[in-house]
Amino acid sequence: MDCNEIRRLLEAATDGELDVAHQLAVEEHLGRCPLCARAVEGIHARRTALQTALPRFTAPPALAEKVRSALRNEGAPVRTSASQSKRADVFPLWRVTGLAASLAMALFVGYTWGGSRVRTQALVDEAVSDHVRSLQANHLMDVASTDQHTVKPWFAGKLAFSPPVTDLAGVGFPLVGGRLERVAGQDAAALVYRRRQHAINLFIWPARREAAPPVTRERDGYNVVSWTDGSFNFLAVSEIPAVELADFAEEIRQATP
Amino acid sequence: MEASVPNEPPSFEQAMLPHLDAAYNLARWLLRHEQDAEDAVQEAFLRAYRAFGRFRGGDGRAWLLTIVRNVCFTQLRRNHPSVVREVFEDDLHGSTFDPGEVNALVWRETKAAQLQLALDKLAPEFREVIVLHEIEGLAYREIALVSDIPIGTVMSRLARARRKLQTELQALARKETTHGL
Ligand SMILES: [Zn+2]
Repeated sequence: MDCNEIRRLLEAATDGELDVAHQLAVEEHLGRCPLCARAVEGIHARRTALQTALPRFTAPPALAEKVRSALRNEGAPVRTSASQSKRADVFPLWRVTGLAASLAMALFVGYTWGGSRVRTQALVDEAVSDHVRSLQANHLMDVASTDQHTVKPWFAGKLAFSPPVTDLAGVGFPLVGGRLERVAGQDAAALVYRRRQHAINLFIWPARREAAPPVTRERDGYNVVSWTDGSFNFLAVSEIPAVELADFAEEIRQATP
Repeated sequence: MEASVPNEPPSFEQAMLPHLDAAYNLARWLLRHEQDAEDAVQEAFLRAYRAFGRFRGGDGRAWLLTIVRNVCFTQLRRNHPSVVREVFEDDLHGSTFDPGEVNALVWRETKAAQLQLALDKLAPEFREVIVLHEIEGLAYREIALVSDIPIGTVMSRLARARRKLQTELQALARKETTHGL
């Protein structure tokens, strides 16, 4: 990558928002380019200034009580501030239990993908990184169309299989386009759907060689759902909430006979 | 599914009250007025309570902050209809935005009061991304959820906000040298 490309990535790199491959490319470049390294110094000076000079305002002590009493007027079961310390004990416990449950779940789903938890994680990592890169590189689509009858033929000749393409505009997930990707070492169709302002990448590839594991997982705030119908593997990834992505997956399942 | 399989779902108070400071900080920076910020936070909590049935777990802070910022922007649009326009035109230029050079000297020499003044001068949408990212420490995707804009727009808006901030600081510094001496 040349200096111009690196400069475009610097803000995201210093914000810790790049995927590993690009992060390494940026660091490698900074090691041998004093000009770009100077630009990073400026960014660091700016960050230091912003983070030391800008106060985080804390709510006035009376506001918590005002909010509580407004909530009680609404009929909400709200503790008084005096009993708050109890809540502090209960909350972490609930979180620990939730965490233990998610670990158990992760172990459980992990062993279905060819018996390898590591490979399942690699699949999730790869999908999230593809998704992030497609957003950052402004490379969501090679074919932009809201028409499934345009998107489907576009893949013909580019892939050795014909992916099922369905528009879900009727249920709030309009199809906006597609492109080619590699997933799990295989050629895959990437269909791009929109949910409000957010993109969903749906990767589809043949299940002949290996059926995808049934995964529902969150990584770095991105949600990933994968499944197989025997002929094709499906993997959906997006920053939309897990529940919405599950709805999306269900709609795709129902639309794909 | 994996992210939230609690034995017992948290109450509204458990899920949302820990984010009171985050809510107040955002409202205080957006509205730039203590009492207005308190009122906005109170209204946001009431709206959040009424909508809590639709909260399906996950990032409670982002969910609450979305409501806070919507309350604040409704108020801003009502009271200052002109301030909200500039940003949309800016967003139209897409995310292939060149952030320009960061002037390290400007940032090293700036004083806290100047920086706060400069931030107050930005359009609220620009102030919002700075507050969420630099003060509240939200990642791009969290800001995308709070402000309901694509991640690409988060990046370009943040880059523009930072550059506008630098321009304001330079203007303030010039003012100080002409009037201050
Ligand atoms: Zn360079």
